[in-house]
Amino acid sequence: MTDTLSQSTSQAAPDVVAEEATVKIRVRDLDFYYDDFNALTGITCDIKAQAVTAFIGPSGCGKSTFLRCFNRMNDLIPGTRVVGTVLLDGQDIYGPDVDPVDLRRRVGMIFQQPNPFPMSIYDNVAYGPRLHGVKKKSDLDDIVKTSLKRANLWKEVKDILDRGGLTLSGGQQQRLCIARVLAVQPDVLLMDEPCSAIDPTSVQKIEDLMAELKSTVTIIIVTHNMQQAARVSDDTAFFLQEVMGEPAHLVEFGRTAEIFTSPKDKRTEDYITGRFG
Amino acid sequence: MREGFRKELKQLKKSVLGIGRDVVGVTKEAVAALVDGDVDRAQRVIDNDDAIDAACLGIEEHSLEIIATQFPVARDLRLLHSLTYIVMHFERMGDLAVNISKAAKRTAYRRGPQTLYDLIQAQGNLVHRVLEAMLEALEKGDLELSHKLPELDEPIDHLFKQFFRELARIQDEDDLEWASQMVLASRYLERIADHAVDIGERITYMVTGQFEGAYEEEEA
Repeated sequence: MTDTLSQSTSQAAPDVVAEEATVKIRVRDLDFYYDDFNALTGITCDIKAQAVTAFIGPSGCGKSTFLRCFNRMNDLIPGTRVVGTVLLDGQDIYGPDVDPVDLRRRVGMIFQQPNPFPMSIYDNVAYGPRLHGVKKKSDLDDIVKTSLKRANLWKEVKDILDRGGLTLSGGQQQRLCIARVLAVQPDVLLMDEPCSAIDPTSVQKIEDLMAELKSTVTIIIVTHNMQQAARVSDDTAFFLQEVMGEPAHLVEFGRTAEIFTSPKDKRTEDYITGRFG
Repeated sequence: MREGFRKELKQLKKSVLGIGRDVVGVTKEAVAALVDGDVDRAQRVIDNDDAIDAACLGIEEHSLEIIATQFPVARDLRLLHSLTYIVMHFERMGDLAVNISKAAKRTAYRRGPQTLYDLIQAQGNLVHRVLEAMLEALEKGDLELSHKLPELDEPIDHLFKQFFRELARIQDEDDLEWASQMVLASRYLERIADHAVDIGERITYMVTGQFEGAYEEEEA
């Protein structure tokens, strides 16, 4: 295992492989299949801890599929298969002793459409901790307050905690979902186009939130909005399916500031400057 | 995709090249005014400077508008950023041509030693060659040509030094005052060529995304 890993590390392009200490998720030679269809191929990259990494690329380039590999959400789709290695803090998340439910606590996810449960704001946030055995009211109160504060929602909802989560505005609902994820203290936050369905002011709040959270949570965001990727992320990965029916792959991975000023690959340059896609 | 934006960038670059050609024109005129002792010609260069300044400012404003509204990235961003820098150089080059013209007005009252006229004309011709090469490199994004600019600049620096040697031979006080104006003009010409060399570095960044200075440090 170690030999294989060190071999693949040495073969990978230098800019996709980071220093050991800063790596949260290490991906090596990942291929992903929907039945016979090879959707992603040969993905090798290191996702840095305490950073925001953005996945960009045209529709159908596999960026959301790749994102879902990190908490094994794809397992829920019949006929899907992962080949290769995904290490979270050095542990193979596709290993036989990994409990996907526990993994999804460590690797939380936010979706395009806010999806609060049809229950009160308080219960939405307390749901996860209760599931994990927290019963004491004062402990739950603390968790709910801290999580809502971390999600920058506390001030807006502190007096209406018993109101239904679905009564909030779209942007508030999305922050409620973030608070719900934070309540179980995840290491990683996966965000799949979290701002596509909300108003610009709420987008701004969520972007600010990402900057605050990244010191404690590793964030990976899939976005179609390239200005957003440029604004919020430290690193950017560009995915591309060059031929319809062929697998998509990782074209370029690097510091966001470099990708958006001097990308190394012409395909990245053509995509981000709007020459295709 | 983004056709209007692309056309706008193309047009902006065309305008910058136009200002560049104006700068080449006024530099040539200033040298001619100096060598011929033509006060009217010198005055026309001075009068034309406001138009160059306004055109440069127009480019800067237009670039800012495009950045604010179109969010350019990568090569588009580098092009806009570089064009803004390049017009700043053009503006200063125009000012130097004005300075040469002022020297022309101050020296026109008499004819000095022919050697100095010959030297300034030779220097003017070399500067013209550098400017033309710089404009061609900018128009075509020609890296080979932009890298050649320092080499083309070298003889201009040599001629400037030769000017000093000629100055040392002058004994007559009237000649000396006159010649010091010519030396200054020679210095301005040399500075114009230096700006062209700096523009060459911008062109390299525009095309490659690498700063020339950073490149050299990495290799060292």
